[in-house]
Formats: sequence, C-alpha cells, structure tokens
Amino acid sequence: MSVEEVTQKFEEAVSVSDAPKTVLSDNANFEVKHPLNSKWTLWYTKPAVEKSESWSDLLRPVTTFESVEEFWAIFQNIPEPHELPLKSDYHVFRNDIRPEWEDEANSKGGKWSFQVKGKGADIDELWLRTLLAVIGETIDEEDSQINGVVLSIRKGGNKFALWTKSEDKEPLTKIGAKFKQVLKLTEDGLLEFYPHSTANDRHAQPSISL
Amino acid sequence: MKRYTIEELFQLKPSEPVQQVDFDAVEFKAIIEKVKKIQALREEEFLTSNRRRSSHHHPTRPKIKHNKPKVTTDEDGWSTFEPKSATTNDESAIEDDDTNVKSRAQETVRVKPNNKNIASSRPADARDIIVDKQVHGFNAFAALESDEEEEE
Repeated sequence: MSVEEVTQKFEEAVSVSDAPKTVLSDNANFEVKHPLNSKWTLWYTKPAVEKSESWSDLLRPVTTFESVEEFWAIFQNIPEPHELPLKSDYHVFRNDIRPEWEDEANSKGGKWSFQVKGKGADIDELWLRTLLAVIGETIDEEDSQINGVVLSIRKGGNKFALWTKSEDKEPLTKIGAKFKQVLKLTEDGLLEFYPHSTANDRHAQPSISL
Repeated sequence: MKRYTIEELFQLKPSEPVQQVDFDAVEFKAIIEKVKKIQALREEEFLTSNRRRSSHHHPTRPKIKHNKPKVTTDEDGWSTFEPKSATTNDESAIEDDDTNVKSRAQETVRVKPNNKNIASSRPADARDIIVDKQVHGFNAFAALESDEEEEE
C-alpha cells in the first residue's frame, strides 16, 4: 500500500471536519507525520580555517529528525552539497552514533565507498537519493546493518560512504548492490568496502569490491 | 520495520519549503558562507603570491623573444611581411621616424653590459675598450733622454 493510499484511508476513516491535516492535504500546517524506523542525526564537519581547530571542534551535530516531514523540512533549510565549501562533510547517522571509527557501533564495521570523479554527476541528486534510501530503510532490507551515510566534498572528487556495523560479507554484498543502484552506477563504476580497522593504512586494499 | 521507498518519500515532499526547523538554519548557512569566503580569499592570495616563480625578481627584464611578423599571402601567391609600425595608419608615425631612431640609439647607449659575472676581465662592450685606451703611449726614448739631461 502506497503512502498516498494510507493517507487517503486515514482521512476517510476520520470525519472530514475533525480530520488532522497531513502534508498532502495542508502543506503548511500539517499535523500527521510519517514516522521513520529510527531517529537520525545530521552532523556537519566544518573545514578548518585555523590551525588551532581540532577534529572535535569541527564535527558538530546540527539537528535530529524522526519523521519524513521533519527530514524534508531540514533538507530544505540546509545548503545543497554543491553549495558546500571544500573539505566539508555531511553525515547522517542513526540514533546517537557518532560518525567516528571509535564509536562502539562503528568499531567492528566498515564502509562502502565510492568517489565521484569528473564534474558531470549531479551530486545533489545522488546525495538525496542516498539519504532517502538510507532513512527509508530500503537499502538494507534484511537487517539494520547501516549505521550512517557520509558525503565528503573534496577537490579530487566527492566521496559517498555508507557506514555499516559489521564486516560480514554476505549482507554487505546485498547492500553494496543496492547502493550501486541508488548511485546509478553502471558495471564500470567500482564500489569498494573498507573495514574501519584498516582506516589508518593508506595502502589498504578493499575487502569487497563490486 | 517501517520502510519507505524513494518514490514514496518523494510523494511526501512538501511542494513549498517548510520554514520551521528546530535548529538555527540562518546561523548554519552563515557559518558555511563565512568558510567559503575565507577559502576564496586564501585561493586568491595563493594565486597572486607567485610562490614558486622566480621571474618576478626581474620586473624590468627585457623582452627577448618577439612576436613573429604578420605574413599575408595575396591571390598570386606572394607573401608580404607586415611590420607592426606599418600597420598603423597614423601619418605622424612616419614623420617621426627619425626621432624614433634617435631615441632608440640613445636607449642603446644607456645599456650597461653586466659583465661582473663573466670570467674574463675584458669588458664586454667594445666602446669601453676605446674609452679606457691610453691616450699617450709610453715613449721609451723620451724617458731615457729626459732624466740624463737634467742631471747634467
């Protein structure tokens, strides 16, 4: 059953005069919200402009959201990826997980990584599609493997990373295949999985490639 | 588990932007704008600082390589050089031709050869040799005669 059908049925069930307003019936003053599976936190990494600024100074939580409506409100009020300065990162992580390897939820996991090379790709659209697939939980149909998603704005090419809680090859391969679809990658587009345990190794090889 | 496909989530997107959010969106945007400005200034500074170029030590370096003269080929296949001065239609330019030659000559005279780093001690400019040349040569006979005559 689609979202529209659910909303329509709900509105039919309640009498018209008392019906709470949804985002479809009243765009500005809706009362009904569509809950997400979990709470999500938007983090932002500000590029360092002074040498004294440390990682902890630069990484800050911006806001949290638990419903589809809250997500759209936030998304419409923050700069789009193409408007961000170089060396910025957007992170959207589940519950209170910090977007750091040291966080207990991340320590045994890794990340699916893809770097967009060239200026042809629409980074804004790909980021939005990735976010919707993650918060809508359609990228991970069997289990809650996904901890969060990161977009890094870099000169050499913007990077997408899907952070997972484990390194298990079987569920991760399914997630990787879905992630490729979300990023609209063809057969040539290489998606690589790096365990966080190899994060400090510059010459680390991916444990899975798709 | 609650799931929404990408299409379903798009259906729930409000057609007009929602202004109410539980964080200071204006301040957040201001921080990002400030960082962008600082980065742009640094980039400009880097581009204008000539960090790795040594040629800016010689602002009056003479132009050694000149542009090739323009060559036009007519219908018969004859090629003609077009010097820069000829292309100007200003008649006074032709009249002042003599003065231009003079000023050019003066400029040439003013040039001092920098031979301090040349291994040979000989001056590089031939005119310097003429200037330094002794006007009166040493006359050995005259020198011998003069001393003896005085003693006597």
